[in-house]
Amino acid sequence: MRTKGFAKHYYLMLLPGFIWLILFSIVPMFGIVIAFQNYNPGLGVFGSEFVGLETFRYMFELNDTMNVFFNTIYIAIMKIVGNLIVPLVFALMLNEVRYMGLKRSIQTIVYLPHFLSWVILGGVLLDIFAYGGPINQLLAMFGIDPVLFFGRADLFPFLVVGSDVWKEFGFNTIIYLAALTGINPALYEAASIDGASRLRLLWHVTLPGIRTTAVLLAVLSLGNVLNAGFDQIFNLYNPLVYSSGDIIDTWVYRAGLLNLQYELATAVGLLKSVAGFMLISLSYYLAYRFTNYRIF
Amino acid sequence: MLKKIFFLLLFILLFTACSNEDASKDETEDKDPSSDTPSEPADPFGVYEETITIAIGQEVDPSDTSLQDGDTPLDNQYTRHVKENLNIEVEHAFTASPSNYDQKVSLAIASNDLPDAMVVGPVELRQLVEADQIADLTDVYENYASPAIKEIIDSSGGVALENVTFDGKIMAIPNSQASADGVHNLWIRQDWLDELGLEPPKTLDDLKKVAKAFVEEDPDGNGQDDTIGLAGPDTSNKLYANFLESTNNLYGFDGIFSALHAYPGYWLEGEDGELVYGSTLPETKEALSFLRDMYSEGLIDPEIGVREDSGESVISGNTGMFFGPFWMPYGPLTDAVTNNPDANWQSYALPLDANGEYTPHLSTTTTQFVVVRKDYEHPEAAMKILNNLLANESEFDPSIGGPGFYPLRLVYAPADEMEVTTVALREVLAGTKEPEDFYDMPAYKLLKSDVDHIHEIKLEPYDNMDIEYWDPQANLGQWTRAYSALVGTAPLVDTEINGVKSVIYSQTKTMEDRWVNLKKIEDETFLKIIMGTESLDAFDQFVEDWNNQGGEQITEEVADVVAK
Repeated sequence: MRTKGFAKHYYLMLLPGFIWLILFSIVPMFGIVIAFQNYNPGLGVFGSEFVGLETFRYMFELNDTMNVFFNTIYIAIMKIVGNLIVPLVFALMLNEVRYMGLKRSIQTIVYLPHFLSWVILGGVLLDIFAYGGPINQLLAMFGIDPVLFFGRADLFPFLVVGSDVWKEFGFNTIIYLAALTGINPALYEAASIDGASRLRLLWHVTLPGIRTTAVLLAVLSLGNVLNAGFDQIFNLYNPLVYSSGDIIDTWVYRAGLLNLQYELATAVGLLKSVAGFMLISLSYYLAYRFTNYRIF
Repeated sequence: MLKKIFFLLLFILLFTACSNEDASKDETEDKDPSSDTPSEPADPFGVYEETITIAIGQEVDPSDTSLQDGDTPLDNQYTRHVKENLNIEVEHAFTASPSNYDQKVSLAIASNDLPDAMVVGPVELRQLVEADQIADLTDVYENYASPAIKEIIDSSGGVALENVTFDGKIMAIPNSQASADGVHNLWIRQDWLDELGLEPPKTLDDLKKVAKAFVEEDPDGNGQDDTIGLAGPDTSNKLYANFLESTNNLYGFDGIFSALHAYPGYWLEGEDGELVYGSTLPETKEALSFLRDMYSEGLIDPEIGVREDSGESVISGNTGMFFGPFWMPYGPLTDAVTNNPDANWQSYALPLDANGEYTPHLSTTTTQFVVVRKDYEHPEAAMKILNNLLANESEFDPSIGGPGFYPLRLVYAPADEMEVTTVALREVLAGTKEPEDFYDMPAYKLLKSDVDHIHEIKLEPYDNMDIEYWDPQANLGQWTRAYSALVGTAPLVDTEINGVKSVIYSQTKTMEDRWVNLKKIEDETFLKIIMGTESLDAFDQFVEDWNNQGGEQITEEVADVVAK
């Protein structure tokens, strides 16, 4: 009985989180009705006229919509792949560094950008890649004509992915390094005695040792496929690269907040939520299948 | 038990959320401002017996450092004047920097949480009217607008009032701008021209030649390849002014388009009398092709569309030419001259079309509106503030708190204000008239101080407008004004202008839903064509898309509006 009494108090500690969830996640769902209305802010959701699926019909008519969905998935998948492979490779290389001082300094330096916001980094990147910026000056030394990097729709997705990987790989490296320390040193010793080279050690001991971590990270990031990073893209893009750089979130922001097309923005946002829900369910299932990871 | 608590909580939260909505709705419904008309006689300048407050949305420019010590946007020479003269206390419902103001207004509209009064553009006005969020100001305008304001508003030939009249009701107070704001001259570094022995470019081919010389022949003589021939629009400006925003487009290519008789963004009457949208016409394609060539030859700023502020390159002295309205001295030119006293920026009504005529687009004179929240108790207070401003603005010293800090400021200028000022200043300088001759023209509110100060800043010879014959440092504020008139406006006075107007300057019904997307394809396609990332034939695809995605329907609506 006593332990049961205790448990109640523990449940009470859930309360603030629960209230937060209701206020910011459940109550706003009510706003979804806007997508089915000819919404007029003066009349509100109660007074506006219902138009059924009219908005969705218009949404699929626009070239933008498909384009935006494609960009979102394209950029997000590239980011997921980049953010998985680069830190993994880097962690493996760093793991081979025997001099601890050097290892720690490298670690610190590469994970610094993680702490800067995109507002700052965006400004820095725009300057570095500007027409007269350092990168173009470097290119000029090799006789290459200057390139307007952030004005080129064909380059934009790669710049976005590249800069995101650059910003985050140091931080993700730490997760892998932590996983690497979890491998039993006896395995390495045993393999060495059997005559394994360093490459063999890597292949047969290290990689299997961190496999579960890698798979878990990969699977969990599936849930983020539809979040290609509003902050970053918002701070880097301009009308020239809308065609290849606009993602659902930036598009919804412009349509809804800047251009007052509430119905359209809500409809696209709703579609994103539905797709996102399915992806999260899928990734949760996969995480359970592959690594036995589950919450409930 | 626990379950019950959670459900109870959930219920309470949902209930309060809903009932709040209801409460705010009731509030809007049971107060009808037109029913409690004041019993006292209407007086445009009447003082309130008890202090009333008005909470406004205001644009506050963080880079505007003109306020004197201790003053704030809410407590400065002008707000104190409003308090003393009208007994109105101004408060802020919100403030926003110029680049965020429209967004804040949109948010206020979306959340139905309007300030008592604020300044909005034509698109927001229409939205507010349809959402039934703002007060009917018909009686307020009739009873409280000062004679001076009525005179200026009527000077637009009824257009200003037409723009704010919905179903016979006046829903907002319109402004009236000098028509000079709508013509975008060619501004050019005269000292660079002189250095290279060139003439101002009369035709489009001349323009190309001059731009080429500016880019390649190192006109600033610093030995570096860092000069821009023709500046282009930055991220906050447009390739060309359009029928909804027809004035004050900085660094756009308006001059080039109009020299080729292309008027993109404008609604025009075609040869057969049918209404057409200028952006879809072959002339526009031709102009785009011209700009595309210029860009590929490096004659236009390579960073158009990506640059945050094209003014910076004007100030730093890297730019040789740009298109802009007469008031550019109020923009980057003051800093450019402070930075480099030799930067001899002159303005021309150029380039000319194939027949040697100057054919710029012209603007509407009404672009901004003061609206009042529907259930605000003193809708006439906004009108009184505007009356007070027009009557007294010339008394305030902009250097200790500029116009940016005057609440609910709308520009009120007779359409020909700048032209009249230019002529007056010339006559005073030539000695054919005395400053006193211009004292009795109250609608031209700054004219008196203009003529009084001109001798401080203009050096002899009085008919030479080169920068070396000015003394900007003697009185920078007055220099800005006088330079705008004598250099910026002079081409409009001296040139015969065969301007083109849009047949409408307001939105139609279908535009509300579709215009944003149509405009988006237009802007993107045109920018990409100019910058060479799309072929010129993308224009034809654009026209087709534009028609299919609502353009045809909108054109019909425009025709209906015009026919009425």
